[in-house]
Amino acid sequence: MIKIEQEAWDLMVAHARKTYPNECCGAMLGPIDGGTKTVRVALPLENAYPGAQRERYELRPEDLLYAEREARKNGMDLIGIFHSHPDCDAYFSKTDLENSCPWYSFVVLSIQKGQFHHANSWLPNMEQTEAAQEELEHPNA
Amino acid sequence: MPKILIPTPLRQFADKRDTVEVSGATVGEALAALTTAHPDMKKNLFNDEGKLRSFVNVYLNDEDIRFLEKDKTAVGAGDTISIVPSIAGGR
Ligand SMILES: [Zn+2]
Repeated sequence: MIKIEQEAWDLMVAHARKTYPNECCGAMLGPIDGGTKTVRVALPLENAYPGAQRERYELRPEDLLYAEREARKNGMDLIGIFHSHPDCDAYFSKTDLENSCPWYSFVVLSIQKGQFHHANSWLPNMEQTEAAQEELEHPNA
Repeated sequence: MPKILIPTPLRQFADKRDTVEVSGATVGEALAALTTAHPDMKKNLFNDEGKLRSFVNVYLNDEDIRFLEKDKTAVGAGDTISIVPSIAGGR
């Protein structure tokens, strides 16, 4: 399961609301203890998708390299990626699946009319054909 | 020897280490040395045809090897190879 701490959560929701009606994205850092991932730090990153960002996001590999370095520097791990779905539910779409990486948790925040609505976490498989839902704990649940 | 930084989720396939030193004169040789020493790493990085998976980018220090000489890019003792995911999506 994945647990998101208050400070990281506030930053994720604030980033998603600020970029609304466009999609936001970012990295989640923290420790992994057995089966529990704890998100201690959220790193909002720029949506680098060159087209309509209301429907798409893209992370720059350079930014993920930076996130990975930040994690190492602070004795934490890069454990997941978050992005928002403006005015639609927090499912894992076909586009999400086809551009995913099976090593990480993918937290999707549904932002409806500019406000946080709900969130889900997903674990895509190696073949990018399906994603299992992961138990998610966050302060607004 | 060049160093390869191992992303957290893959450390379980590398004796829990976050950094692995490998021999090799090119990025391709270094990655081959990594997957030879740690065979379970292979299917995470390469597909059945032996190509890097679509979600895997490889960086030599701060440069994507696609913009250098790909797997033929030369590596030296002080170099660091990073495995960086490729991630995008939508709704
Ligand atoms: Zn999405």
